[in-house]
Amino acid sequence: MRKFIFISPIIVFFCIIFIFLYLLITKSDPSELPSALINQKAPKFETLSLLSEKNFLYEKEFNHDLKIVNFFSSWCIPCSAEHKYIDLLSKEKGIKIIGINYKDDPKKALQWLDNLGNPYSDVAIDSNGDIAINWGVYGIPETFIVNYNNIIQYRLAGPITKKNYEAFYQQIIKNK
Amino acid sequence: MASTLGNSALWLSFLFSILQFIVSTKNINSIIIFNRIAVTGLLTSTLASFFLLMYCHVTSDFAVINVFQNSHTTKPLLYKISGVWGNHEGSMLLWMLVLSITNYFIFKLYSKNNSIFVSKTLQIQAVITIGFLLFILITSNPFERMSTIPSNGLGFNPILQDPALAIHPPLLYIGYVGLSAVFSLSIATMNLENDEGTPWYIYMKPFVVAAWTFLTAGIALGSIWAYYELGWGGWWFWDPVENAALMPWLLSTALLHSLITVERKKSLQAWVLLLAILAFLLSVIGTFLVRSGILTSVHTFALDPTRGIYILIFIGLLGSYSLILFALKSKNFLGKNYFSFFSREGSILVNNLIMVIVCGSVFFGTTYPLIVEIFTSNRISVGEPYFNATVIPMIIPAILVMGIGPLLSWSKVDSKKTLKQILPSILLTIIIIIIFFLSYRTYNIPGLVGIGLASWIISNVLVTLFLNIRKESKKNNFAISSFLKHFNSMIIAHLGVGLLIIGITGSSVWQEEKISRMKVNDEKMISNYNVVFKEINEVAGPNYLALRGSFWIYNQNNKIITVLTPENRIYPITKNTTSEVSIHTNLLRDLYIVLGDGDNDNGWVVRIYHNPLVVWIWIGVLIIVIGGLSALKNNLNILRLRNL
Repeated sequence: MRKFIFISPIIVFFCIIFIFLYLLITKSDPSELPSALINQKAPKFETLSLLSEKNFLYEKEFNHDLKIVNFFSSWCIPCSAEHKYIDLLSKEKGIKIIGINYKDDPKKALQWLDNLGNPYSDVAIDSNGDIAINWGVYGIPETFIVNYNNIIQYRLAGPITKKNYEAFYQQIIKNK
Repeated sequence: MASTLGNSALWLSFLFSILQFIVSTKNINSIIIFNRIAVTGLLTSTLASFFLLMYCHVTSDFAVINVFQNSHTTKPLLYKISGVWGNHEGSMLLWMLVLSITNYFIFKLYSKNNSIFVSKTLQIQAVITIGFLLFILITSNPFERMSTIPSNGLGFNPILQDPALAIHPPLLYIGYVGLSAVFSLSIATMNLENDEGTPWYIYMKPFVVAAWTFLTAGIALGSIWAYYELGWGGWWFWDPVENAALMPWLLSTALLHSLITVERKKSLQAWVLLLAILAFLLSVIGTFLVRSGILTSVHTFALDPTRGIYILIFIGLLGSYSLILFALKSKNFLGKNYFSFFSREGSILVNNLIMVIVCGSVFFGTTYPLIVEIFTSNRISVGEPYFNATVIPMIIPAILVMGIGPLLSWSKVDSKKTLKQILPSILLTIIIIIIFFLSYRTYNIPGLVGIGLASWIISNVLVTLFLNIRKESKKNNFAISSFLKHFNSMIIAHLGVGLLIIGITGSSVWQEEKISRMKVNDEKMISNYNVVFKEINEVAGPNYLALRGSFWIYNQNNKIITVLTPENRIYPITKNTTSEVSIHTNLLRDLYIVLGDGDNDNGWVVRIYHNPLVVWIWIGVLIIVIGGLSALKNNLNILRLRNL
């Protein structure tokens, strides 16, 4: 009995550590935030297109293909780092990507696309961040997978990186 | 340039901490010179890297990612400086700085009689230092640079631009890190099985007192920030981050008191050694919970799973080593001094157990949502109702015991004499409750209990003070011995607790809240005050724009008392909005107004609070901290006398 009292702290401690370890492993990617919008219709918006300087044609862009919606900005450093993966998905995998230019100067955004290349089928201007609020965006970059029926299937908060690119691509295949 | 230097200084600290680990394993007196080199080298290089990071922030060197993400050229200088520790990487560097200062103080304990003991302690401290340095270097290096240099930074969360918050983390870290010294001393004591006969508790005491005092002040400043800056009308929200600081505080409170028992009666030694380990482990577990992202909280820092894994491994190693050591060695520290339940040490033990149980239930409440999520994948939130229902009923007996404890004598108690001594407090408490009941006609049981407890504590403090003075005047020639002084710091701290209870009771039981949409010239009654919304204007601050409302407050006699001007601020750089609370304080109540959203046509959402007695919380904590500081001074004196 007495012995048990002295061993009990270490036993309790191990239990706690194992619970934490389990939680860390199962929740290993905190950027996979559950979104209230998963399995919901993609929120509509009306705005201008960065590329054509005319109205952004929502119905045309959100057609019956699988598409990816990427929130980005020229002042966002992780967006620049992420750009090559967006490029890869667009140019090599042939996936339709819609850009949403978040709180940016259109001139700088165009310059940014000139420098890095344009992977987007079209880019919607979100100058005051309203679209981002409707889509429940936490911070940029943030990327959504939207299916043929315009239902949001998956959300990635934070940049696509070398580490999560493969997993993200699998999500696209799954929803195709 | 500065960032490269800072990074090298950080690596230099790493080398010094390894040197400290190696030289401390040798128990030879001549090695002390190497130990001196290691300890001062560690301190100097950590200081250098900390101030180099500060230099980067002050000069807005945006090539450093940490500066880019957290600073901006328009930020006021004070917040550029406090911005150094307002983010994850910088705060870890601050932690490291406090750790190496504490390390230096442990080194200063060296004397002829305790060299083995201090060496062993420094060795454990070196392990902790290496652990944290590797964490910083591998997962959170504040000096990391990027290739492109942006023209300006991403700014700084405006809600963190507050003087209370600027000094809140350093104080908390002094507390946490002070507990690391307590941990190392405990491990060293168990390891050496006390060969030298070192009075380890005398060395441990100042660190515990310092850690406890700074934790108290740090937690209070966090609360002050929440109250004045968040604008939610309250000062404690049972947020995981608050709990992470509260848990080590509860254990160090227990530790502080049981150490007195060890000092006086040599009993409870094994218990104290265990508490010392647990208090520090809980500080690190708190850090883990906050920084790993497994708990979501308003305070959560940048999420990164590798950080969580790293801290967990570190906690796992530290915890298993120390607790296995405890399981093996603690029987050597079991006292044969049994004591009666009804004695000073009995009351201390009861309160110790209550503190540990409260700490356990806070821990359970904080992690319970996580456990539920594992089994049911539901997300639940355990909030105020749980904590109020579990913590308050346990704290009440603790406060009753706390009142009587200082009047009991050690070992054996003459119960008749004690009863005679506490009789005045019992009467006084009953009288105050009755007066209170009659004058306010309140049937609010929690309120009456709170007021009763506060008067119980305060009247017992007065009785203790009276008895002490009488004892002193009897043996006049002794003057004031250092022990009596030490006794007085207890009286001060307990008085502070009494006042704190008044404030907590008043502000939580009798808070009044009025939320409404108000247009200009609308009026609202709260308590006995009439609040008139006079006007709303646009004003510009140094790095924000604001809408400022003017509220004129009239009392019952229609006399104007004050004009409150809450603001709604917009920070154009981060596009953040914050609301600036406006508060009118006197000793009896706070009037607290928050301006919300709205426009001139539909009116503005205005929240008005009448918070009774809030100021006594801050006064109480201030007095507790003064008590703690005075105890610290006495303990350092005892230590100095011993080492001479």
